[in-house]
Amino acid sequence: MIRFVLFLFILVSCQTRSVTRVQPDATYDLSGRWNDADSRMVADQMINDLLQSSNFTEYAKQKGNKPAIVVGIIKNKTTEHIDASNYIKKIELAIYNSGTADIVESEEFRDKMRVERLQQQDFADPETVAEFGKEIGADLMLFGEMTSETDVFRSQKVVNYVTSLYLTDIETNKRIWFGQNEIKKVVRN
Amino acid sequence: MMRFGYLLILLFFFGCASYHQVNQDFHHEFRNGDLHQALEILGDNENVGSGRNRFLFYADKGLLLSILGRYEESNSYFEKAFLYGEDFQKNYVAEAATYLTNPNLKAYGGEDHEHLFVLYYKALNFLKLRKPSEALVECRRLNIRLQQLNDKYSSGNKFQRDAFIHTLMGVIYQSTKDYNNAFIAYRNAVEVYEEDYSEMFGMNIPDQLKIDLLNTAAWMGFNDELQFYKEKFSMQDYSPSVPTASLVFFWHNGLVPVKGEWSINFIMEQRENNWIVFNNPEMGLSFPFQVDGDNDRRNLTNLEVFRVAFPRYLERPVFYESGILESAGGQYKLELLEDVNKVAFYSLNQRMMLEFGKGLLRAALKKTTEHTIRREDERLGALVGLINAVTEKADTRNWQTLPHSISYARIPMERGNNTVELKLSPGHGAPATYTFKYEPAAGETLFHTFSSLESGYPRY
Repeated sequence: MIRFVLFLFILVSCQTRSVTRVQPDATYDLSGRWNDADSRMVADQMINDLLQSSNFTEYAKQKGNKPAIVVGIIKNKTTEHIDASNYIKKIELAIYNSGTADIVESEEFRDKMRVERLQQQDFADPETVAEFGKEIGADLMLFGEMTSETDVFRSQKVVNYVTSLYLTDIETNKRIWFGQNEIKKVVRN
Repeated sequence: MMRFGYLLILLFFFGCASYHQVNQDFHHEFRNGDLHQALEILGDNENVGSGRNRFLFYADKGLLLSILGRYEESNSYFEKAFLYGEDFQKNYVAEAATYLTNPNLKAYGGEDHEHLFVLYYKALNFLKLRKPSEALVECRRLNIRLQQLNDKYSSGNKFQRDAFIHTLMGVIYQSTKDYNNAFIAYRNAVEVYEEDYSEMFGMNIPDQLKIDLLNTAAWMGFNDELQFYKEKFSMQDYSPSVPTASLVFFWHNGLVPVKGEWSINFIMEQRENNWIVFNNPEMGLSFPFQVDGDNDRRNLTNLEVFRVAFPRYLERPVFYESGILESAGGQYKLELLEDVNKVAFYSLNQRMMLEFGKGLLRAALKKTTEHTIRREDERLGALVGLINAVTEKADTRNWQTLPHSISYARIPMERGNNTVELKLSPGHGAPATYTFKYEPAAGETLFHTFSSLESGYPRY
């Protein structure tokens, strides 16, 4: 037994770290917590729901031109530190590529653009200076909320993540689109 | 033969000294607050101890430089310590060799809580350098470390959730105006203080944590959660407000315990079906082992009594018992966030059975080797027996420059000049007073750490 233990130690000393590149859409569930596969599932479903929404299509038609969307806050009420921008950026990209709507930069970026524009007035060639008052006002704001409910018993855990996104008319406060995604996981240790 | 005797004497001395004793010059200067001298003794050679103690070298150096206010340099060492922990893999050849000598032959991988502290110091250094984005990176790394710690043990009553680190993450997120993540971190911290820390360490939820949780809930518009926690904390009258600026003050009090060793004599008894049992009747310890093969059994049959060394923590009692901050806004008690001393003791205790198992296997292997050689050459076997005895030693390494405990307070500040007095009270005598001046911008959160290195010397 004793020699066997030593032999085992030496045998496993051959183990080395390995790194393998895999397809980004491959699903690997290791800990059971929120991961990239969940963000992708939320993005895929929400993109599909939004672009096929009759309400959204009708709104764009009535408006006569492409509506402009700005992304607002996505509240995270779960117990995990989840970065909503992982799926929000995918949704933004899908909207942008679909050509159904324009994307207006978020508040943080707008502030930086305004500082840049202001500085251009003093330092840039007058012929190339960006003018004031030409920003596009957003028609719609995308915002939402993430919640989770957890049930734990001994070494088992069930977590249900609910992600809700809303697209609301900034002028009228009317909700134009409402998407919801649920992901339920059972984790056994 | 004389040279051999000299070697044995060296082995004897090397075998007796703990990690703390081997590095006593460094620790003496550090404890006395002569950090420049301590830094000089520590040197620049990161291959100290043939690289086996590299984690401790990086961590000690990072901590010293941080106290000296050399935050960039400090973080370069903490980053090395972090990466060392990330890339650490057991060297099983060295691991096997420890079973024939002692565990100090293998590289020190660091305790769970020590890896968290590397990132704690690193995040604070970035905040003091006014680099919040970099501090947030450390926050995310801390989150991953906490998840790894949480998944490490499947049974309960293990130190696998760190309330202090959750609180720290909340404080960092709050300072960057990410109130949502701050709320999540504070809520997790409250849960861990309530469910784990109260039972394990006899600690309560800090009042400042309750206030921060209520504030971030209010600022996020989480009204249901705000009401829930107001009722839970019996703080129905609390009205969240936004200060002009604030100071988060961390007080590092005393020094963490050092590891020493203790030895137990075991009696080996042979049982039926190739089972042997290592017994220590005085302590009520009994460990059964199964042996295969006649050789192993024959060799171990000869065993009667042998000594096995195990690690243990030796507390360095704190000098100061409590602290308060005084500013124009009033008095603020420094509240205990983390009792690092208790965390260290708890972490070692929870794996003591594993330490017993490893120690006994080591002793059995050494004895088997000795008896195998004795059969071939009695004198050589006796010599191996002597070497085995003097090299029997526990792993006494730990990050010994960490504080005994960490307390904190959040103080509202005005824009411009602010004066704050820190008053530290020892058990007896007048408090020590220190004065600090701060000049925050509107909406800014400043961070300050103060280290009281005064503490008792470990009792051997």
